[in-house]
Amino acid sequence: MPREHLLKVGVSGVRGVIGDFLTPALSASFAQAFGTYVGKGRVVVGRDTRTSGPMLTHAVQCGLLAAGCEVIDLGVIPTPTIQMYIAHTRARGGIALTASHNPPEYNALKLFNAEGLFFNHYERSELLDLFHQSQFVQAPNDEIRTVRQDLKTAPALHLARVLSRIDAEAIRRRKFHVALDGVNGAGSRLSVHFLENVLKTRLDAISVDPAKIFPRIAEPRPDTLTELADLVRRTGADIGFGQDPDGDRLAVCDETGAVLDNDDVLALAVSRALPQTPGDVVVNLTTSLVIDDVAAAHGRRVWRTPVGEANVVEMMQAVKAAIGGEGSSGGIIYPAVHLCRDSYTAMALLLDLMAETGKSVTQLVSALPRYTRLSGKVAFEHGRLGTLMQSLEESFPDAETDRTDGLKLLWPGRWLHVRSSNTEPLLRLAVEAKTESAAKELFRSAWERLTA
Amino acid sequence: MNAGLRISHVGLRGVVGSGLTATHVMDFSAAFGTFLEPGRAVVLGRDTRASGNMIREGVVASLLACGHDVIDLGVASTPVVQHAIHRMGAGGGIAISASHNTIDWNALRFFGPGGIYLNTAEAGELLDIYHLRRFAFQEWNKLGSLRVLDSALDDYLDDLARVYDLAALQGLRVVVDCCNGTSALILRRMNERFGCGFVLINERVDGRTVAHTPNTSAGIVELQLGPLMKPLAADAGFLFDLDSDRVALADETGRGVSEELILPMLADYLLPRSEGKLVIANLSSTALLEDVTAQHGGRVLRVPVGRQAAIDAISTYRPEQIALAGEGTGAVMMPQFRFVYDGIASMLAILTMMREKGQSLSAILASYPRYCILKAEVPLHSTNIPALLLQIQSEFPDGRLDRTDGLRVSWPNRWFHIRVSQTEPVIRVIVEQQGQEPRDLFEKLLDKVRSFH
Repeated sequence: MPREHLLKVGVSGVRGVIGDFLTPALSASFAQAFGTYVGKGRVVVGRDTRTSGPMLTHAVQCGLLAAGCEVIDLGVIPTPTIQMYIAHTRARGGIALTASHNPPEYNALKLFNAEGLFFNHYERSELLDLFHQSQFVQAPNDEIRTVRQDLKTAPALHLARVLSRIDAEAIRRRKFHVALDGVNGAGSRLSVHFLENVLKTRLDAISVDPAKIFPRIAEPRPDTLTELADLVRRTGADIGFGQDPDGDRLAVCDETGAVLDNDDVLALAVSRALPQTPGDVVVNLTTSLVIDDVAAAHGRRVWRTPVGEANVVEMMQAVKAAIGGEGSSGGIIYPAVHLCRDSYTAMALLLDLMAETGKSVTQLVSALPRYTRLSGKVAFEHGRLGTLMQSLEESFPDAETDRTDGLKLLWPGRWLHVRSSNTEPLLRLAVEAKTESAAKELFRSAWERLTA
Repeated sequence: MNAGLRISHVGLRGVVGSGLTATHVMDFSAAFGTFLEPGRAVVLGRDTRASGNMIREGVVASLLACGHDVIDLGVASTPVVQHAIHRMGAGGGIAISASHNTIDWNALRFFGPGGIYLNTAEAGELLDIYHLRRFAFQEWNKLGSLRVLDSALDDYLDDLARVYDLAALQGLRVVVDCCNGTSALILRRMNERFGCGFVLINERVDGRTVAHTPNTSAGIVELQLGPLMKPLAADAGFLFDLDSDRVALADETGRGVSEELILPMLADYLLPRSEGKLVIANLSSTALLEDVTAQHGGRVLRVPVGRQAAIDAISTYRPEQIALAGEGTGAVMMPQFRFVYDGIASMLAILTMMREKGQSLSAILASYPRYCILKAEVPLHSTNIPALLLQIQSEFPDGRLDRTDGLRVSWPNRWFHIRVSQTEPVIRVIVEQQGQEPRDLFEKLLDKVRSFH
């Protein structure tokens, strides 16, 4: 019987279901721990469009003020926009209230440092200890500051940073026809403005009302973007973009209405970024080999990290990477704009690539090396994880192994990766190979051993 | 032992940071959100303290999480909050204010429908929910929403203007020490709208500093306004606490008027104009009240000290039976304003009285019999209190005895009251006598009390 994780307090912050789990008092305490950790000064707060956003914003603001911080409230705003604003305004840090692609009953606190980046693993465990010790700064009356709203600065700042890295004029000249599904998320208004007014595309948009609830499953995937695919086919758009509620992830639809594999989207972005940016590429362990091929074509190396945006970002910082991301989950991180997952940067790089090459999305994708990827989930009992992984490793003695996040077994041109989910008692299995039959064979043999 | 936090039937009160924390605020307001019937909005206001910014956020979060819509009046006096609850038909409200306490304190004060204080039974239920910490948090699609309302002050002034002729007060020269509190906003607006011409001092509102302790006592008002009255040729001087529920008064000569006299003065003015003839006051306030009330054919009901006892007493009568209720601290409630402690309403009643009588404040006060009251505090061990009270009681067998709140013994023309403070570990000794100062009795009682330490 899989147990649901209705509340998770850990090194990644706090995430949970609104109601009896992620309560206002817990959120305020966590924010007060955060305020204690970053120190008195300005702290930025923003949220996505979830119904619990206003409630949690007030809770978090209470905790920050209690720690003696001054709060800058950006209102409803994409997460990457918050991150850039933090860095630009030299704030002490920031908190985004968003459960990203999780369902609407969830919410979470995402925490950022003074540079608008994730804290590293060690900093995050320090903060968690502080929270558990409950030894917060308790500001007396004369040290309690105010909440100040700034709804204008951050979106303009974000778009200016994106535009500085692409040839916007070339995009405007092409007068692309774009379809957009904003999932009624935090980016809804900004995306319409960006595509229509800034990049002068002809825009057909659905679900761009931030006052409404999510009309589809929040994670942008092929099976959740059917409405966008229909829109592309109906309007004959050149490309379709599907966002998640906090505007960090992006899925892409080609001009035939087929939703691309997220690894391919990342590969296209990498191919656009590398010629103009020095540095290597960082991706997680389940990201496709297509990235290695594209990087190799530009003479760059690929670094791999455990799954999770924070892990990728930490490595990107360490190796001064040119670009990075997490293939399967639809995230592109381009440090030239900001070291964060950003759907606006992703949209801009793809349109820029189309403008520069004069090619359609299907043409661009067909030029990429072909791999077949398969994935699945297996429920497992606690205590069996080690045995399962060990038997898997022993079954494939010829493979190179990587145990930094679960178990990855590699051969030239193919791999398999098994890891336990952070949020559910599930094993995730992913395989990749050059051909469909090879991928199926690899998947089947691994699946048999895991379910034996 | 007082670490700067008190959780009681009166609500939640403490020194922000060292005693009162965000967690207390959030849990207590979640308890209130659980206590209130669902489906009606909750009105919120705060005084000028900087810590109100933090507390406001916590209160809003907890109320929204319990599914209540919140109407936030921003910086507003406690009476303005209470009036708004009534006017808007809200389910209740919270005033964030430690009133007359020093600036480092803050508090949550809870009101039910109609803007009235919770009675003892309701306050007890709220406390039980708080201690149980099982709150009625709602699911993601049933949360409340927040609305900010800035018209509450004008609506409140409209209510006051229906009872008092505000423009007619222009004829009086009035100086007010706002103590950097909410009265500054109210009186400034009255000057704008009705041309009252109140002269305001300490009217700057920054939340971090106050010119002096916001205590409404004769001593402070004399110190603050005494030197200004003659140079400004002022007819009356007033001083408010931070949320304007209490008032202190100085006469035209610059003398601070004992806070004890405010209730008798208002009784003198209101009784002839009121259908109700009952005056509710606590056991520690001046016997002048009996004299004045008797003159107008009324009756005084004495209740234990503290707002809660007064509220419970009021709720046992029909509103039209009561002329007014209050304390010897300058806190007075009137039926025409639905029994809200309101210093501004008290000020308007006193000024209207002066205008109608055409007399100076000192002349009005001189027309009352003179009483002398002596007060002292003695720290003590709680263990010894029952024996102490019994001993003193046995030494005064000839007086009229009241044991409803400590020990009160009264004779014609004099009384004393010995009681334990609800807020500090001290015994309060109060002795009053008509005409002469009751120094001998006062010293005798103090010696007795000290011998039990």
